[in-house]
Amino acid sequence: MSKLKHRFLPYLFILPSILILVPVIIYPLGFSLYNSFQHWNLQISPVSQGFVGFTNYINTFKDLTFTQSFINTFKLSVPVVIIEFVIGLGIALLFNENIKGGNIFRAMLIMPITIAPMITGFLFRYLYYKNGLISYLLLLIGVQIPKEGILGNPITAFWGIAFTDIWQWTPFFAIILFAGLQSISVEIIEAAQIDGASFFRLFWYITLPNLKFVILITVMIRFMQTFNLFDIIQAETMGGPGTATRTLSYNLYYEGLVNYNIGYSLAIAWIMIFTIMIIINIFVNFTLKKEEL
Amino acid sequence: MAKKSLFIRFSLYILLIVVMLLFMGPIIWVLFLSLRPAVTNRTIPPTVIFKPTFEYFYYCFVNPGVSLNYLISSLILAFGSALLSLPFSILASYAISRFKFRGRKFITLFYLSLFFGPPVAYLIPYFLIISRIGLAETYQSMILIYQTFTIPFSILIMKSFFDEVPIEIEEAAMVDGTNRLGALIRVVIPISLPGIIVSFMFAFIFSWNNAVFPLVLSGYSTKPLPIGTFNFFATTGVAWNNIAATSVVTMLPPMLIFLALGKYVVRGLTFGAVKQ
Repeated sequence: MSKLKHRFLPYLFILPSILILVPVIIYPLGFSLYNSFQHWNLQISPVSQGFVGFTNYINTFKDLTFTQSFINTFKLSVPVVIIEFVIGLGIALLFNENIKGGNIFRAMLIMPITIAPMITGFLFRYLYYKNGLISYLLLLIGVQIPKEGILGNPITAFWGIAFTDIWQWTPFFAIILFAGLQSISVEIIEAAQIDGASFFRLFWYITLPNLKFVILITVMIRFMQTFNLFDIIQAETMGGPGTATRTLSYNLYYEGLVNYNIGYSLAIAWIMIFTIMIIINIFVNFTLKKEEL
Repeated sequence: MAKKSLFIRFSLYILLIVVMLLFMGPIIWVLFLSLRPAVTNRTIPPTVIFKPTFEYFYYCFVNPGVSLNYLISSLILAFGSALLSLPFSILASYAISRFKFRGRKFITLFYLSLFFGPPVAYLIPYFLIISRIGLAETYQSMILIYQTFTIPFSILIMKSFFDEVPIEIEEAAMVDGTNRLGALIRVVIPISLPGIIVSFMFAFIFSWNNAVFPLVLSGYSTKPLPIGTFNFFATTGVAWNNIAATSVVTMLPPMLIFLALGKYVVRGLTFGAVKQ
């Protein structure tokens, strides 16, 4: 569509949305950047206790909990998004077989996405209990559950959280990739089939290239969301046992609003924001370069 | 040949039903939990057949109705923030959809980046700032803060709807003597009303489901449902049936809205990038 040229009008239309976001975005960002260079513990003083330069930032690298939470964040978000994508694509391909009643199945599949992540966390916390349904089913098929319960053991708690996220968001990939599959024109597929292309060749040379944009968009959205994951952890483990399930988000919350190390936690916040900016940049260069924004 | 395809069809169905059981199972289980007598909560093997009771819904939402306040808070926050975002996002998304101007790409990326930023990073400054200006634990402060995700989201999705309105229609209106704002209000908004409603519904769901901000910013009387649920984790024991009853009520509105949204779900979930 052709676009109009106008000197002032577009800015005038955008201005209100920027003005309302200044007090809730720009000011807090400035506030947090300034105070990330201050020593400030809220338990000791209601105002910051002096400029300390980059001390807070340097301290993060000496802080084992921080480095662990940094690793945890990637250890959680990378495999979780890959698993969600692979299973989701599988389900989307299943739907694409034009099964009768597909509409009803798809409507049911959307349900996990609609739930507040905090509520999903409560739900799975119940399922993970020692005699909860998941523990029971695992025992039934002969999988040994740790004595302290799924969420009581550092390793299983981590995978418990990952599994919760996978349960909730695999349908996201399934639904959107299915929409992408449906938009591939039938002619291309039929032509390839007439030429004798096997299922796998068809998938590799026709389906995947046509889905590229949808895949990049969905992976980006989901990666950012799992990277920032907080709700499920708060509901299931509160970062525990110990600090085993602390992600960057949770560690930031804990330092700032439980330990009240304001200056230090704001330094963590900025490290997190920078990490995200780098990741977004990589994704944007991949996806939106050719798209007209 | 025919036999084989029947076999394949059959196995596809079996596979699909297994998948559905996996994804619907936990939801059905929480519904069971909200309806079952507490004595059957933790039996081994789990009890599947029981006489349903509504006492937990009654306890949570009627008498004494502990969760009723949370429900009201959730409604105020979700309606308030979805409504507030509308005028701002209609204007901005119209400009981005219709005009070519310097900084257009930058502004779009700015909105997009707000959506991907870590909410917890904002949480600490919010907590400190709103208590300083005396707005701690109020609906107003939370509704304003929710705009950090409702406005960017609404702008991105409404732009995709405005893009579908042919520019000729409003130009015809402008030839008839209406100015640009008049054309927007009298022509473009009525045509894209379905899109505005879709955007409102998503903004409602995102605010309804948000639990990071109110975890710290809400107070005793302004707690929404997901935060209120924490009160059932008492030191004396966890009231799982009440948690389930409150959870079911929390889950219901977004589920119904998603069903009503139909084919727009895909567009909403991808911020307007993928259309069905």
